[in-house]
Amino acid sequence: MTKLEDQRSISFPVQGMTCASCVSHVERALMELPGVSDVVVNLGTNKASLNFDPTQVNITDFQHAISDAGYSVPTQETNLHVSGMTCASCVDHVERALNELPGVTGATVNLGLEKARVQYIPEVVTTSQMKRAVRDVGYEAVEQDTAVDNLDRERKVREDEIRRQGRNLIIAGTIGVLVMIGTFYDMLGPFQSIVPKFLSYKWVLGLLTTPIVFGPGRQFFVNSWRGLKHGVTDMNLLYATGIGASYGIAVINTLFPNAGFGGEGATFFESAALLTAFIVLGRWLEALTRGRTSEAIRKLMKLQPKVANIIRNGHEISIPADEVETGDLIAVRPGESIPVDGMVQDGYSAVDESMLTGESLPVEKKAGDPVIGGTINKTGAFKFVATKVGKDSALAQIIKLVEDAQASKAPIQKLADWVAGHFILGVHLLAVLVFIFWFFIGYDLFFDAGSRFILSPFALGDIGVFGFSLLLSVTVLVISCPCAVGLATPSAMMAGTGKAAEFGVLFKGAEAIEKASKIQTIVFDKTGTLTKGEPSVTDIITSLENNVPDKNQQMKILRFTAIAEQNSEHPLGEAIVRGANTNDLELSAPEWFNSIPGHGVEAKIEGVAVLVGNRKLMGERSIDFRALMSQAEKLETEGKTVMFVALDGQPAGLIAVADTLKETSVEAIRRLRQMKLETVMITGDNRRTAEAIARQVGIDQVLAEVLPQDKAEEVKKLQALGKRVAMVGDGVNDAPALAQAEVGIAIGSGTDVAKETGDVILIKSDLNDVIVALEVARATMNKVKQNLFWAFIYNTLGIPLAAGFLYPALRLVVSPEVASAFMAISSVSVTLNTLLLKGFSPSTQRKVKRTGRDKVAANQFSASTTSSN
Amino acid sequence: METENLDKEIARKSAIVYLAITAIMALLFFAVTGLMGTYPMVARIGGVMWISLLTLIVSMPLVITYMKKKVKGTKRN
Repeated sequence: MTKLEDQRSISFPVQGMTCASCVSHVERALMELPGVSDVVVNLGTNKASLNFDPTQVNITDFQHAISDAGYSVPTQETNLHVSGMTCASCVDHVERALNELPGVTGATVNLGLEKARVQYIPEVVTTSQMKRAVRDVGYEAVEQDTAVDNLDRERKVREDEIRRQGRNLIIAGTIGVLVMIGTFYDMLGPFQSIVPKFLSYKWVLGLLTTPIVFGPGRQFFVNSWRGLKHGVTDMNLLYATGIGASYGIAVINTLFPNAGFGGEGATFFESAALLTAFIVLGRWLEALTRGRTSEAIRKLMKLQPKVANIIRNGHEISIPADEVETGDLIAVRPGESIPVDGMVQDGYSAVDESMLTGESLPVEKKAGDPVIGGTINKTGAFKFVATKVGKDSALAQIIKLVEDAQASKAPIQKLADWVAGHFILGVHLLAVLVFIFWFFIGYDLFFDAGSRFILSPFALGDIGVFGFSLLLSVTVLVISCPCAVGLATPSAMMAGTGKAAEFGVLFKGAEAIEKASKIQTIVFDKTGTLTKGEPSVTDIITSLENNVPDKNQQMKILRFTAIAEQNSEHPLGEAIVRGANTNDLELSAPEWFNSIPGHGVEAKIEGVAVLVGNRKLMGERSIDFRALMSQAEKLETEGKTVMFVALDGQPAGLIAVADTLKETSVEAIRRLRQMKLETVMITGDNRRTAEAIARQVGIDQVLAEVLPQDKAEEVKKLQALGKRVAMVGDGVNDAPALAQAEVGIAIGSGTDVAKETGDVILIKSDLNDVIVALEVARATMNKVKQNLFWAFIYNTLGIPLAAGFLYPALRLVVSPEVASAFMAISSVSVTLNTLLLKGFSPSTQRKVKRTGRDKVAANQFSASTTSSN
Repeated sequence: METENLDKEIARKSAIVYLAITAIMALLFFAVTGLMGTYPMVARIGGVMWISLLTLIVSMPLVITYMKKKVKGTKRN
């Protein structure tokens, strides 16, 4: 048995998939390999992801399995110039080092030319990894080719496909229109004079249709045969049988009109031509859509800087950004991209992080502040030390998360793929049944030579039993094609995850989107999530106030208390010291200091005896705080911790400390409640404090005094009540609850454990992004449902119509070309519907934009009034 | 090499089965249309061709998948 830690994950591209059934075939082919598990194939991204045991199986086995199933794993070739090799054993070392890299499918080294030719799968291994592998065995390697990066390659493959299908569409569309005109020549009326008569001759129609069937249509025959040989049926087979049957019968009836297949009245050249044209139109549209929906990844990849200016031995040198190593010192000038993650060592600047965090304002950076690779330095120059490079960098991890999410499958998609995968065989069986019914029963009972095609003025004419049965059988095949089903879910998921990433919300998988769209209850961890997680001074009450705040006295109390507490490590003491620093108070050393464990501190400062502590301490020292007691209780009711301050044995005032709410918490909770979601706060605080916070923020339900280890249990209890729960948290202690909830939402500023466990990561710490996540999830799932409706409604309505259910009553038949037009409309509907998601903007962003516009308008108004005055 | 031989064996065994199924369906269709006696020969031949093609398309993937499981299962055991 393989241990879990021996398992490796891999994701690689698969070429040649066109429909949901292809997805099932590739998945099945990979699952049949020993040591392979969790196979997920995504049509939208054309990628396969899986876990495997490297001792049992390798990338070459995956390649073989996929090619056996009739598809392929695209590979690239690169040449490395390898220096330092002196003999045949060097060649062997270099070859072995390269061949051992996962993703390298073959490497040959030429000693004389000092060249290594490497075939590899670009998305699994990079050229910099190859160079590193060569260096590790003691040689130097540089790329010989002008490196075209993965992004360009990926784009090129997609553009080639769009171009190929576009070319096919032009050929099939143009000639198809001619065939259409020729077929309906007799119906052209006044336009007959401008159309040459010979265009209507059957043999001319045959000559025109032949290049369509064997040109643009060839791909369907080749692909379906390749699949059939390996026991695979896909959409190509439906197309091939439909086009092939229409064309074959038309040829027979043209060459041998008396053969009894319906004669010249049943030459379906226009069916074969237009069927091909419409299917190619669908393919072209799909290729366009796939390119557009992965725009988010491309945008993120574009952020990856190419060059880094590193300082070595006091000199600045430019090197490729992917060769920067941890610990390198890097110089960044205004306007430059930050090449990798790091920590500022020297200098000051403002950095635009909007591309990763969505935060519109530049963030100030000074020594000790972290910087993220891919962000842009705006104003000053600085130097920083690289802390995370390559796949460990924040940008690389964000790209991987988005890629993984786009490559994953939502439960609804798994169902759609399963249906589509089994649909093809079912449809062929149905075609047999339809043929047999109309051949043996239907034709004799119902056939009428005056019957017409739907959406066509033409009558069926004197067609024989075989021609009529074949016509209905072929139309069933064509109309049943669920090609839009394959695109419906992944295209919407890709658009949704990409859209979420634009706003700084990372979904770890399509399943997270689906679940997030169904959430009913949101549980928030209090500390660090709703609150800043850092107590601060909120109120200073002086005993001399008499309802008039005395600022000087307040500052005096704060300064004396801070001096007394400055050696304290208690969080409340630290909060007071921070408060004094914020107010620019000068803190000297106390003349004398004594800590009273569990109660407070006492000190002598500038000749004054200062006593700071709780109510009990003041009671023990017989200091009468009765005059301030009502205010102390009021503060405690608000969830604040009150510290009593006495100077020279007299009550001087109160200092209240509390963990303050984040600026966005109240607004976020208000919006969530507007969305009809139940909000719950979970905390270890006592009930009074917890309820005070909950009141301030507007939370519906409070789960107080919950021990960290019991948070998951509380989530489970909510689930047991039938609620679908999302948990928002940031700490290590939130991880079990994040895992227990249907959707775990981790705050970006939180711990790595929380982010590892969460299904959704908010890059910023803004709780409004919870709303963004839920709104994007809902919008995406709405799109998925609409797309599935458009994909299936056509089949559901079309199949009975094509099979002739209405024929006995209406004497109407669907022609194969009308069937294929409907099919193309279905693909167009799904494509356009998905593209609508690109315009989606979450309500929080709409408000920001509006506020921005209002400000501009206000400024313009102000400017105009000023000038008019 | 072993994999190649295995694949050949699967392909050979599968072809025997799906071609047999197709032939049976074709013969059945031809026989029934003959017994009914009302169909012209061309329609019968056309029908045989269409039924054969569809039967081949339906049976090929089913038989090949079944054979793959059976043969590979036998070899593993």
